[in-house]
Amino acid sequence: MSELKGAVVSARSGTKETIIELLEKAMDKGIFDGVIVPMKVPAGDSFAYVFVKDRSLLKESFPLPPVMFVQGAKAVSSVTRLGEGNMKIAVIMRPCEVRATIELAKLNQTNIENMTLISIDCPGVLPTSDFLSNPEKSMKQFDEAVKKLDDKIMRPVCQICDKSSMIAGDLHIGTLGAKKDTFFIISNSQKGNNVVEKLGIKLKDNLDSWHNKVKGISEEKHKKRKKAHKDLKSEVGGIDNLVETFSHCINCHNCMKACPICFCRLCYFDSDKVKHPSEDYLERAESKGSIRFLPDTTLFQMGRMMHMSHSCVSCGACEDACPMSIPVAQIFSMIADETQGLFDYISGRSLDEPVPLTVYEEEELHEVEDAND
Amino acid sequence: MERKIGVYICECGPNISEKVDIDKVIDAISSIEDISVVEKYKLLCSADGKKFLEEQIKKQGLTHLVVAACSPKEHEKTFMEVCENADINPYLLQLANIREQCAWITEDKDEATKKAIRMIRAAIGRVRYHSPLDKKEIESNPDVLVIGGGIAGIEASLQLANTDRKVYLIEKTSSLGGLVTNFEKNFLGMKPISDTIDKKIQDVKNNKNIKIFTDAEVEEVIGFFGNFEIKLKNSDEEGDPIGFNVGAIVLATGLTLFDPKNSLKYGYGEIDNIITSLEFEKMNKTGKISLKNGKPPKSVAIIHCVGRDEKGYCSEICCMYSLKFARYLKDKIPQVKVSNFYSDLCIPGKTHQKFYEQTKEKNVDLIRFTDVGITKNKDQLNINYKDENGNKKSLLVDMAILSSAVEPATDASKVAEIVGISQDEKSFFAEAHEKINPVSTSTEGIYIVGGAQGPKDISSTLIQSEAAAGKILSSLVPGRKIEPEVKVSHISESFCIGCKTCISVCSYGAITFDEAKKVSVVNEVICRGCGNCVAACPSGAASIKHFKFNQIYQELKEAVK
Repeated sequence: MSELKGAVVSARSGTKETIIELLEKAMDKGIFDGVIVPMKVPAGDSFAYVFVKDRSLLKESFPLPPVMFVQGAKAVSSVTRLGEGNMKIAVIMRPCEVRATIELAKLNQTNIENMTLISIDCPGVLPTSDFLSNPEKSMKQFDEAVKKLDDKIMRPVCQICDKSSMIAGDLHIGTLGAKKDTFFIISNSQKGNNVVEKLGIKLKDNLDSWHNKVKGISEEKHKKRKKAHKDLKSEVGGIDNLVETFSHCINCHNCMKACPICFCRLCYFDSDKVKHPSEDYLERAESKGSIRFLPDTTLFQMGRMMHMSHSCVSCGACEDACPMSIPVAQIFSMIADETQGLFDYISGRSLDEPVPLTVYEEEELHEVEDAND
Repeated sequence: MERKIGVYICECGPNISEKVDIDKVIDAISSIEDISVVEKYKLLCSADGKKFLEEQIKKQGLTHLVVAACSPKEHEKTFMEVCENADINPYLLQLANIREQCAWITEDKDEATKKAIRMIRAAIGRVRYHSPLDKKEIESNPDVLVIGGGIAGIEASLQLANTDRKVYLIEKTSSLGGLVTNFEKNFLGMKPISDTIDKKIQDVKNNKNIKIFTDAEVEEVIGFFGNFEIKLKNSDEEGDPIGFNVGAIVLATGLTLFDPKNSLKYGYGEIDNIITSLEFEKMNKTGKISLKNGKPPKSVAIIHCVGRDEKGYCSEICCMYSLKFARYLKDKIPQVKVSNFYSDLCIPGKTHQKFYEQTKEKNVDLIRFTDVGITKNKDQLNINYKDENGNKKSLLVDMAILSSAVEPATDASKVAEIVGISQDEKSFFAEAHEKINPVSTSTEGIYIVGGAQGPKDISSTLIQSEAAAGKILSSLVPGRKIEPEVKVSHISESFCIGCKTCISVCSYGAITFDEAKKVSVVNEVICRGCGNCVAACPSGAASIKHFKFNQIYQELKEAVK
């Protein structure tokens, strides 16, 4: 990877406020025609992605909300799935949301040609249900936790996220390792360089303290992740454990609907192809003694794993959406790490890396070949 | 529709009957729903067997047919023909391969019998869900486009035109003949070849079936086997772009030399009297062999294997033409001292060894090196080399000839892109199969011949041109219609999410993108039914006729039940 260039930005009025000021300035200068950014809803107890065209509304934006009701990539793809617009749009998201956006761009589900993707050091997000039980208290708790870099109240999958400062988009806002009342603005592309330059900021400051802090946190979280996955594997590994784990699944498919990567028009598992004549069920019951209804819940989960684990960004949206508290995101993050590891692939790392599905290598995947061969 | 399925089990002489208890199989199969008849027969592929099957289909009024016999590779076509003769759609047939996949490999007779039952049950499960598919026929154009006017393109054009085919021969330079026009003699016989080449060029020019375009390049190729539409970059007298239709295309874009400037150790371009093999051929043919100062060289080094390490392959022809160079030199400057420096000698062929020995007898030194480089020494050259034992040595000479590796012609990539075929990792055009299908490409109707396919000498080039002409004459017959693949892919408009994954995995360029609807569309004439898109489609929009989800599911279900 090329050497990242960055600048220290003075943020006396506060990080959030300074980010908003910069966005306002960028809109004034015509660098952006619009901004997609999380905002607090008028009632003050929830957040949503909003596409802001009226500069004065930017004041209400909330670049780092405590929750992720909608995965940002879904918001972005809904704007541009049918091709690029002529508008130059800035999007502020968490790193996993930027990565999912990049995955979707590779699969032609969004066009980011005219978009500037801006990520921000992510402390994690609160589980949706925790937040909803007491929004006001949760917001305070979240602010405290961010200050202390304490992730215990965040989504379980956030607690083991080793890519919470990964830069995959055009610009990144680095709060880690920054001196008081400052943050870093880091560019990862020519597009990013141009934006910063037009804002009159010179990308020439030293980023060592950010790099060091990020390195420390990601290494620590990486260890935690490995251990968590190892523990999880002993719990859910093997067909019996897997069936047991997903035995609470009610086939609502919320996980799939919340997933930014699941973009099929009609899921195979919602199609008629999985609806069999009653003799089939009779036969199955006959051979196994009995079958559980609704059928095929584990098959659904395994099918989804097969279809999207190479692109999964471990954002945790699926787990938050599960009404049965199945640790879907933790299981999927484990599978995703293994699948992507097979192809030396990290989902959403770079637009230039094709999704493994489209790449043919004559010499690969020996590890999954028939052992008897 | 009421299904009446007939199951016919072939004994295949003793091949199947000795390993499978066929009567037991018949017992197990007969009671399955929709089965009208189960019978065995000695040899179904024999003339009698085929007649028996045809009569059975008619007599029993069968709607579907299962034949339990050998591999579909062996006789699927045979039994499909039987179906056609008996007036049922040939795609309502399913073969169970109980010979190669069962009788021949399963030792235990009980096990083999059980396995055969499973396989036939699976075939029955599948055939139930088969749909009739209709053959399509399209008109074809018997004319041929040949790209490249060198010896390869000339030969292909002549072979085709002599059978009254119309040939369009496109040459990017102003004259025909290509590289070989630079050669005085060919190796082996040391016979002059200009006359032969000139005659071929004249033949091409005089042939009324061949339309020659020189200084011409192809701009666009669209279509498929039997119906390619060609557009040239050139314009006619009225200024309109030249275009025509052909049924097949021969790519004969030839080869070029590895540029020794890419390897600094040879001093090429920096030091005088270091020339490439092609420059030497030209010097030999057009004038006299001389140094820059006009005098004849007293000593010459011919360096083989230049660029072999960089290219990563042996160029096959350099050893032989380097020996020919030694002969040119000895013939014209009898006193000259010639040293051939080689890393490995490549002289296969029935008369090549003799040529090599005759050359050696003319006092030509053959020196093996493990590394070689050239430096200037006043007006002369030092050939600095390491011998086989790694000892550093040096030889002083007047002139050095670099026998450079051969590469595909410079714009081969452009041509590959325009006609839509792939290149191998060395940028030569990729053949359908290097060993068993060497002049075809993955696109039906497009053939590759000569140096464009890989390094080769004149005779191998001519062989390929003749082979490609043969392939075209036998597959593209005037008046005969072309039957495109029936088992093609289909992309459902309502399921397609427009991610274009299918387009990136299609080897035939058969899928295009409908920008208005944002969905992928299969061209059924170009599609070969390989199934890549079906496997890669993340949203289940792609399916392939005759390999539908339910057909495979039912087959599998019965196989594992």
